[in-house]
Amino acid sequence: MSPLPPELSTELHRLVTAVDNPREAAVDVMYALQHHYGYLCDEAMHRAAEVLGMTTLELESLATFYDYLYRRPVGRYVIHVCDSVVCWMFHQDSIFDYLCRTLGVPPGGTTEDGLFTVLPAACVGNCHNAPTMLINGRFYDRLTPEAVDAVIAELRAGTEEPVRCK
Amino acid sequence: MPDLIIDGRPVTVDKGVSVIEAAERAGVMIPRFCWHKSLGAAGACRLCAVMFVEGPVKGLEMSCMTPAADGMVVETGHPKAVAFRRQIIELLMANHPHDCPVCDEGGHCLLQDETISGGHSLRRFPGRKRTYQDQNLGPFIQHEMNRCIHCYRCARFYQDYCGYRDFGPMQNANRVYFGRFEDGPLDNPFAGNLADLCPTGTLTDKPGRFVARRWDCQRAPSVCLHCSLGCNVTALSRYRRVARIEARDNAAINGAFICDRGRYGFGYQSAQERPRAPLAAGRPATPEEALRAAAGLLAAAAKRHGPDAVAVVGGQRSTMETQAALIALARAAGWRAPAFFAAAREQAQARQALYALTPPRARSLADLAKADAVLVVGVSPLADAPMLTLTLRQAARAGAAIFLADPRPLALPLDHVHLPLAPRQLAAVLAVAAAGEDASGLIQQKFPLAPELWPRLEALAQAMAKAKRPALAYAPALAASLPGDDRVGLFPVLAQAGTAGAALLAPTDAPGLDELAAELAAGRIKAVIAVETDLFAAAPALAARLDALEALVVLDHLPTPTVAAAQVFLPTATLFETGGTLAASDGRLQRAEPVQAPGLSVLADGAGDHPPRDYARPLPGTDPAPAAFWCDRLGRALSLELPRHPLAEALAAHPVLADLDPVTLPAEGQRPTYPGREPATPESPPAQPAAEGLAVVMETPFFGGDELSRYAPLTADKTGPAVALLHPDDAAGLNLADGATVALDCGDAPATAAVRLHPGVARGVVVVPRLPRFDALPPNLGPCGLRRRETP
Amino acid sequence: MQVDIPQVLFKNRHLGRPATIDEYMAGGGYEALRATIGQRTPAEVLQLVLDADLRGRGGAGFPAGRKWQGIPADHVGTRYVVINTDEMEPGTFKDRVLVNVDPHLVIEGIILCAYAVGACEGVFFIRPSYEGDAKLIEQETQVARERGYLGKNILGTEFCFDVHVHRSAGRYICGEASAQIKAISGLRPNPRKGGPRTSVRGLWDCPTIVNNLETLANLPGIVRNGPAWFKSLARSESGSGTKLYSVSGMVARPGCYELPIGVTIRDIIFTHAGGMPPGKTFKTVIPGGASTPYLPETLLDLEMDFDPMKKAGQRFGTASLMVFDKDTCLVGATLSLMEFFARESCGWCTPCREGIPYVRELLRRIEGGEGTEEHIGMLQEMLPVLDLAYCAFAPGAAEPLRGLLTHFMDEVRAHITEKRCPFGNPPPHVRGKACGTRPPQFGPTPCPEDQCPI
Ligand SMILES: Cc1cc2nc3c(=O)[nH]c(=O)nc-3n(C[C@H](O)[C@H](O)[C@H](O)COP(=O)(O)O)c2cc1C
Ligand code: SF4
Ligand code: FES
Repeated sequence: MSPLPPELSTELHRLVTAVDNPREAAVDVMYALQHHYGYLCDEAMHRAAEVLGMTTLELESLATFYDYLYRRPVGRYVIHVCDSVVCWMFHQDSIFDYLCRTLGVPPGGTTEDGLFTVLPAACVGNCHNAPTMLINGRFYDRLTPEAVDAVIAELRAGTEEPVRCK
Repeated sequence: MPDLIIDGRPVTVDKGVSVIEAAERAGVMIPRFCWHKSLGAAGACRLCAVMFVEGPVKGLEMSCMTPAADGMVVETGHPKAVAFRRQIIELLMANHPHDCPVCDEGGHCLLQDETISGGHSLRRFPGRKRTYQDQNLGPFIQHEMNRCIHCYRCARFYQDYCGYRDFGPMQNANRVYFGRFEDGPLDNPFAGNLADLCPTGTLTDKPGRFVARRWDCQRAPSVCLHCSLGCNVTALSRYRRVARIEARDNAAINGAFICDRGRYGFGYQSAQERPRAPLAAGRPATPEEALRAAAGLLAAAAKRHGPDAVAVVGGQRSTMETQAALIALARAAGWRAPAFFAAAREQAQARQALYALTPPRARSLADLAKADAVLVVGVSPLADAPMLTLTLRQAARAGAAIFLADPRPLALPLDHVHLPLAPRQLAAVLAVAAAGEDASGLIQQKFPLAPELWPRLEALAQAMAKAKRPALAYAPALAASLPGDDRVGLFPVLAQAGTAGAALLAPTDAPGLDELAAELAAGRIKAVIAVETDLFAAAPALAARLDALEALVVLDHLPTPTVAAAQVFLPTATLFETGGTLAASDGRLQRAEPVQAPGLSVLADGAGDHPPRDYARPLPGTDPAPAAFWCDRLGRALSLELPRHPLAEALAAHPVLADLDPVTLPAEGQRPTYPGREPATPESPPAQPAAEGLAVVMETPFFGGDELSRYAPLTADKTGPAVALLHPDDAAGLNLADGATVALDCGDAPATAAVRLHPGVARGVVVVPRLPRFDALPPNLGPCGLRRRETP
Repeated sequence: MQVDIPQVLFKNRHLGRPATIDEYMAGGGYEALRATIGQRTPAEVLQLVLDADLRGRGGAGFPAGRKWQGIPADHVGTRYVVINTDEMEPGTFKDRVLVNVDPHLVIEGIILCAYAVGACEGVFFIRPSYEGDAKLIEQETQVARERGYLGKNILGTEFCFDVHVHRSAGRYICGEASAQIKAISGLRPNPRKGGPRTSVRGLWDCPTIVNNLETLANLPGIVRNGPAWFKSLARSESGSGTKLYSVSGMVARPGCYELPIGVTIRDIIFTHAGGMPPGKTFKTVIPGGASTPYLPETLLDLEMDFDPMKKAGQRFGTASLMVFDKDTCLVGATLSLMEFFARESCGWCTPCREGIPYVRELLRRIEGGEGTEEHIGMLQEMLPVLDLAYCAFAPGAAEPLRGLLTHFMDEVRAHITEKRCPFGNPPPHVRGKACGTRPPQFGPTPCPEDQCPI
C-alpha cells in the first residue's frame, strides 16, 4: 500500500478523534477514502480498518449495506437517477434509458472515459421537481432528454471537482 | 412466576422466560429458525408465530419475542398461525435450492423438517432463485450460501456470543450474505459450532462432508478428552470410524457448544499410524503371546530385583476405569504404586484443588457465566480450557469484571484485565483478591517491583470485595493458597481430562515421575509398565534412561515414541470404543458411552474392494481392547487376585466418592460432596525465591498441543510455530531482538526457537509452546540456558 | 400563497434562501430559548410540549412529550438527542425544504428539546443526497455556537449542549429510530425491538431521544406562544399545530406547503397545490408517503390528521401527498414502490427480505401481461405476512399494495384479462440494474433479473 497523502491522513485522524467512539466515524472515513481512491477498493477498506480499529469484515458489512459507498469502480460523476414512484410517474424510465443510451453504458456501467456512472437511486427527496437526478451533490430538476444532454455537455466541459460527501 | 396455558397445557415459568421456551417446557415445540436457547431471540425468521387468544398480548405474535405473562392462553395450532408459518416457509423456500439429496445437512435439516411438517410441498412462486458465490472458510466449515435462510444465528454466535469479528453479514435486503471479507480460515476457535447451529446446509462440518449421512451414523453420548472441562459431546461413527463430533447439551458444563479442539481432534481413533497389533520382543504377536511375554518380563524383574523394581506409570488421558484397574494391578502385584503426576506434590495439589469444592463453593462452568467478578489465576483459558473463554465472555457481557493473572500473553475475545505475573507471584494475587477494598498496603508489599500493576491489582481487590457472586478459576498449583471465604466460588482447571480421576484415585503415597526417574537412575527400577502415557512427554528424565530397563511394557492407542521403544506392547481401545467414567475439573463424574467396536474401519479394510468379499478371515484390527481389560488379563497371567470391578470397588472404598455408582451416573454428571481442605494436606509450599534466569512456562497450542489432537490428522499440523515469547525488557537485557533464533538448554540437544517479544508476557518468564521439542526444558533456564544462535 | 394561513415554520420562506440568524432573530428567533434556559425548568418545558400535544412528524405520530418522559428520571450521565433527517420515504421532501428555509428555527428547536430532556449531545442524522443541507447545518450551527447558543455554558448558564452532523450513506431503513441509532454507532442499521426503548437505552447505551426534524422545529413556537396557541393552529378537533405537506405527482403546483393540521385532502390538492394539471383527471392520492395506502376519491374530504385518518383506514404518515391521474397505471406505480422497498430493506426478517421481492415479482408479471388470477390470491395472502414483520418497514410496504387490492382491483384484473398493461406501459423489462457498486467476490452473482444490487 502506498502511503496516503498527509492531508488525508490528518483528515482521517480528525474524523476519528472528533467523535467519542471511533466507530461512529466509520462512514465518514469510508467517504473520505472513497473520495481519495475514487471508490472503496480493497486497499481503501484495509486503510479504513486500520484507522478505525475495526475489521475489514465489519466495514464491508457497512460499505455493502449502504447505497452511496461504492465497492466497485465508478466514474468521476455518479449519476443517481431517482426511480421512485413520483419520478416514475413522469417517465423516469425513459430518462434512465436515454442516459444509458446517450452515454453508451448499461445500467450501473461507467463510460469509457471514466467520467460517468449511471445508477438508479431511491427517492432523492426532490419529488416536486420530478423527474430528477442527483449528480455531484446537485439536483437536476424536471428532466427532459434535452436537459440531460445539456447537463452531460456541461459536465464534460467543466473542470469542476466532483463533490461527494466526505 | 407467570402462569399460562399453551395448547391446553398449563405451565408456570420464571419471569422473563419467553413463550417459545415456556412451550418447550410444556412439551410443545414451536417451529423456529432464529431463536436458539443460547443465543436468545432475534425475531428475524418469524416462524415462531403463534396465536395469543387471551391475556395481555392478543393476536398473532412471535413467541420468541414475547415474554410469558400471567393469564396468557396460547394456541400454536390456530389456523391463522399455521397459515402464517406456512407462508414464511414458502418465502424461505422461494430461494432455497432443492438440493437435499446432495446436501450434507439433508436428513437432519431443520428447514427440511419445517418445510415438510408445515405442508409446503408445491412451488407457486414463478420467480427465479437467488444465487450467491461461496467462500473458502478454511478447513473446518463448508460454505454453501445459496442454502442460507438468513436466520442470523451464525452471525449472532460468531460476533455476539464469541466476540470474533472476521465473519458476519454483508449487503442488505434480499442480498444479505454471511461470510468473510475474503476467503480464508475463520479466526474463531469455536467456529465449528456453526455447523451445529446452522439450521440448513449453509454452514456444514467440512471434514464430515460426504463421509456419512448423520442418521446412518452410530451415535453415542460421550465426553471430550481434549482438556479437563469435560464438555459433553456426541460421537458419530460410521463404518467403525469416528465421522464427526458434535456438541451435546449439558446445561451445567458446556451448554450447547464445544471448542474446535474438541470437535476436530478425534482423528487419532482412525489414524493409519494407530498401533493396533500387539508386540512381543518388538515383533508382532498374538494378544496371548504379548500378554505372556509381558507377564514373563515383569515377573522376572520382580523376582530378580524385588517387586519394588517394577514401576507403574499411568496416564492423565485415561478413563477412571483404566486408572483404577492399573492401581489395583500394581497393588495386587506388590509393585510400586502407579505414578500419574510429574511429582508427588502435583498429585497432592490436584487433589487439594478438587477437595476444596465443597457444596457452597463448587461452581460449574455454567455458574461461572453468572458470576459478577471472576479472577482466573495460572490459567490461560484458550490454551488450557477453551470453553472457559466463552464462559468468561458471557459473564463479561452480563457486566462481570474479569481478571486474569497469568504469565502468558492472553488474546481473549472479551473485556478483561490481564495481570502478567510470573508463576511464583500468583499466590500473592490470591491474597490481594481476598484482601477486601483496602488492599493497597498489601499490594505494595507483595508487588514492590511492579508499580505499573498496582492500579489493576487494586481494581481486582475492589471488584472481588464488591461482587455478589465472585468466583475464582485456578490452576491446581494454587490450591493451597485459596481464600477461605465461602462467598467466593471455586473452579479448578486441571491439566488433562483424566487428571481429576488420577488425583482422586491414586494412592496418596504414590510416587511422582521425578522420583521414578531418580530411582531408575539409582538402579532400583528395572521394569516399567506404562499405560496410555508418553514417557517422553510426561517424564523426559525417565524416558532418557529407558535403555537401563530390563522390561518396558506399554499399553496405548497412540503411536508415541514410548510405544516405539516398548518391548511388549498391548493396543488399547479409545474412549470411542470403551466408554468410561471421567472426572471433570469441576469435580463432577460423568459417563461416556462407547460408539463403536474397536477394529479397523471398513473403509480401510476393504481397500476399495467393497464390500469385503473374503468372509472367512477374521476381522482385521480388532486386537485393541480396553486398557482395563489388559490389566486384568495381565493380572491373571501373573496369577494375581484382582477385583472384578476395580473402579466400583475403588469408589466404594474411597473416603469421598463412596456414594457414587459409575453405572448410574445421571446425565448431567454427579459431583460428590468434597470435604474441603484435606486435614493432612501439606502446608502451602513457600513461594519460591526468584531464581536466576527465566522461569519456563508452557502454553498448550490450541490444536495439537494435547497428546490426542497431536495424533489427529486434522489438527496435528496446526500447532503453530516454535516461538519463545519474552517480555521486551527481558529480551533487551539478553540483547535479543524480535525474530532472533535462540537455543534453549534442555538436556543433551538444545531446542531452537524464534524469539517473539510481547508486552503481555510476565517479566522473568519465557513462554514456549508445549511441543515435543520443548518437553525436556527445565522449569528454570539459568543465565546460560537461553543463547542466541548465530543464524547460519 | 394565501395570507390567511398562518406560516409558523415557513415564516421566512419568502426570502427564497436560507434565513440568516439575524433574519431569524428579527422575527423573534431565539426568544424562546432566552426565555427558557435558566428561566424555566426542563420539567416546565416538557409540560408545555405535553399540553400542546405535539405529535411526531416523522410518520408514526407519537406524542413527543410522552417520548421524552420515557427517559429514566434517575439516569445520571450522558443523554442524546438525535435529529432524524433521513427522510427517504418516497414523496417526502419537507425536511429538506425546512432546513433550507430557516436553519436556525431547527437549531433552536433542537436546543429546546435538549434542554427539556437534559441532553448534552445532539446528532444530526442526514442522508447523503442532502449533502448541501448537511453543510448548511454545519455552517449555521457554527454561527449559533459563536453566538453562545450552542456549546458550553449556553447563555451563561450551567447548560451545555452541542450538536454534530452524522452523514448517512443512504438506506431508507436508517430512518427508523432504533436502526438510526445503530447506524450512528457504526453498526449495521437493523432495527432493534424488544428490550428497553431508545429513551432508556439508545446511542452508546445512553437514553436517547430520536425526533423528526420538523417535530423539533415546532418547539420554539410552542414555547414562545404557548400550548393553547399551538392547538388553535389546527383545524381538526383532535389536532394541534401546522404541518408541512409535501405535494408531488400530477398536480399543477407541486411543492411543500405549510397548512394547518386538519385541512382536507381536497383542499390541499385542489386549492393549495393548484388542482390537476391541464388535461389530467384525478384518480387517487397516496396521502402520507410511500408507506400509506392509495386513497379513493370518495375520501377526498378527509381531514389530514392522525386520528381521523386512522379511523378511515388511512394513514397520516409524513403527510406527503402523491397524486395520480387517470392515465397512470397503479400496478406500475405499486411496482415502482415495491422496487424501492425491496431494495431498501435491511434484510433482517423474512417477510420483508423475501416477501417484498416476492410481491415485486408478481407485480412485474401482472404489469407485463403475464399475470394470472392465482397471482392476485398470492398477493392478497402476502399482506398479513408483511404486516407481521420485525419493524414497521414491511407493514409500510404493504399499505400501497393493500390500497391497490382494495380500491383498484379492476385495474389489476384488466392487466390479467388483457394480458398487457391497459395504460400501454411496456413490460417492466429487467433493467439489469447496476451490479455496479458492490464487490464481485460474493454474491449475488451478476444478476440479470430480480437481483438489482442497488
Ligand atoms: C422504515 C421506517 C423509516 C422511517 N424513516 C423516517 C425518516 O426518514 N424520518 C423520520 O423522521 N422518521 C422516520 N421514521 C420514523 C422513526 O422511526 C421515528 O418514529 C421518528 O423519527 C420519531 O420522530 P417523531 O416522533 O418526531 O416523528 C421511519 C420509520 C420507519 C419504520
Ligand atoms: S421489516 Fe424486517 S427486514 Fe424489513 S426493514 Fe424491518 S427489520 Fe429489516
Ligand atoms: S424463532 Fe421467533 S422469529 Fe425466529
